[in-house]
Amino acid sequence: MEHTEHSIDPVQEQQEHIKRRAVLQAAIGVGVGLSVLSTLYVGVGFIPKVVITPEKEPVKAGDVLVWAQGAKAGQDITPADLQAAQKSDPPFIIAYPKNPENNVVKSQLATNTIMVMQLEPSSLSPETAKYAAQGIVAYSAICKHLGCTISQWKNNVWHCPCHGGEYDPRQGAKVVAGPPPGPVPQLPIKLEGNRIVAAAGFLFKPGADV
Amino acid sequence: MYKWLDERLDLHRLNSKLFRKAFPVHHTFFLGEITLFAFVVLVLTGVFLTLNYEPSIREVTTPDGQKLPAAYASILYIDSLPFGAVIRSLHHWSAHIMIAAAFLHMIRIHLSGAYKKPRELNWLVGIGLLVLAIVTAFTGYALPFDNYAITATKIGYEIGAAAPWVGGVLVNILFAGEFSNTNTQMIPRLFSVHVLWLPLTLIALIGLHLLIMVKQKHTQPKYAERVSPGKILGVPALPSQGIMAGILFLVYVAVATLIAGIFLAHPVQAYGPPTANTPAVKPDWYFLWIYGILQMIPSNWKFELLGATFGPQFWGGIFVPTLIILGAAAIPFIDTQPHKQRYLELPSQHPGRTSFVIGMLMFYIMATLAGYKIDLNLPNALLWVLVLFVPILTGVVAYVILRAFYGKASQESQVGGLQGSAADD
Repeated sequence: MEHTEHSIDPVQEQQEHIKRRAVLQAAIGVGVGLSVLSTLYVGVGFIPKVVITPEKEPVKAGDVLVWAQGAKAGQDITPADLQAAQKSDPPFIIAYPKNPENNVVKSQLATNTIMVMQLEPSSLSPETAKYAAQGIVAYSAICKHLGCTISQWKNNVWHCPCHGGEYDPRQGAKVVAGPPPGPVPQLPIKLEGNRIVAAAGFLFKPGADV
Repeated sequence: MYKWLDERLDLHRLNSKLFRKAFPVHHTFFLGEITLFAFVVLVLTGVFLTLNYEPSIREVTTPDGQKLPAAYASILYIDSLPFGAVIRSLHHWSAHIMIAAAFLHMIRIHLSGAYKKPRELNWLVGIGLLVLAIVTAFTGYALPFDNYAITATKIGYEIGAAAPWVGGVLVNILFAGEFSNTNTQMIPRLFSVHVLWLPLTLIALIGLHLLIMVKQKHTQPKYAERVSPGKILGVPALPSQGIMAGILFLVYVAVATLIAGIFLAHPVQAYGPPTANTPAVKPDWYFLWIYGILQMIPSNWKFELLGATFGPQFWGGIFVPTLIILGAAAIPFIDTQPHKQRYLELPSQHPGRTSFVIGMLMFYIMATLAGYKIDLNLPNALLWVLVLFVPILTGVVAYVILRAFYGKASQESQVGGLQGSAADD
């Protein structure tokens, strides 16, 4: 008998064998797992690099508000334009900021879409009036709910057509109806001659609240 | 010729093993086939569309001098081709039909109890297929690159971004960064996801779904138990079932093309290229219930936890749909019966389950109705009552009615059913 010559009995040998097998299996498993995990690093490439061009810079103090669309796209918005808009539907203008130094319209950042309108100065809440000029208020046009452009006027307030969010521009864009989780940020403005100029950036972060 | 092939490929064995597979005949068994036909038509029309579509937003000048994004302009070009608009429309309607047929197929499986052991796995694959089909449809939304498509996709983007912790990375991968009309990488990314990666995944899952079905065999219609208990009853896959399926496919193509020709889908020309204005959008019917729930959730449902925001978008757009998908996946594990499932169960004899399905359908209908909140000027409180209580009420009424009319039959057949299945095994 072969086994009699060995000092290890068959049962113990088998146990040793099982132990060796387990160690090898664990080693192979860890090896395969690590190589699969290392390929995940490729996944970093799925997220493109963000390149900030002059068209994509966020609005900042000194930027001039210009028409975002229509026949006058790219031209300065004047108080006369806003008065004329009051009688139209919707009674406000969608604007983009323009950098006055290089004349680049910052239209390629969605959160730079701004609604600007003229209201009765006495109807504004004190907090809102602080950042307005002669009743002219400017707010981010991107709904806090799911990022649509608010762009409509209903029930005498701003109306987002996507899920029915409503904001009162007289009271710091307070949510008066619908699901938006909070107000849209106001853009402090001042008048410089016939131009509407941002006095600072948005009061808080624009864009959908997620 | 047959002999030549048979010697090399052993066609005889294939014929006797696979093509003689018995297909039980019941009209509700065609719902799965219709889903498959819709998918085949989607692939074929999709091939046509990809050959003429330009997945880019570079500015091109059309022959009449307009400056337009290339993707938008290429849709106008497709519409100008012979039958181009009809084929694009057929692609659109087939997506709707595929999702509708898959949904009805799922209800059929649910009502007849065909999800039970040993078919839990295929029920899960089926739910995966339905969700994947809807995601695939969604990734095709933005491709026409008109104002409506972009707005609708934007809503989906923000819903994805509202997923706690992982949402940001998820939408960055799917949409190639920030969602924007000017993001040049977004349309090429969505294009490859929509025409390549998701369809490939769908094909793989459909293959798995069918393989499991062939392995486990169809459930038998109730009459099979009467005609020949314990035996598999049906027509052979080839030629009989093949001919039926072939005819049904042709009927499907004919009907879907008729619909596509009469109701041309998604008029990109009318919507125009993307602008800063938001049109009043409504999602497709299979998202309308989520859209409805999103409008009902009040703005103050919001808290933060470990850096993630749980706002109204999360509750309406992520939480409720996820809950329903998980609930659906759990059905075969909640309803466990010890015996092997071979025959279809009649919905009338399982009042609990049937009234649950009716109640859920009522929930979808009521949530969809909530999608018309603005149009119909419905108050929010009323919508909450409709969405929460009407489905429960409907379920209870359905249960009472089913019990009253079929209660006695149900008891008898349950005894019979148990005996029958015991004999099978």
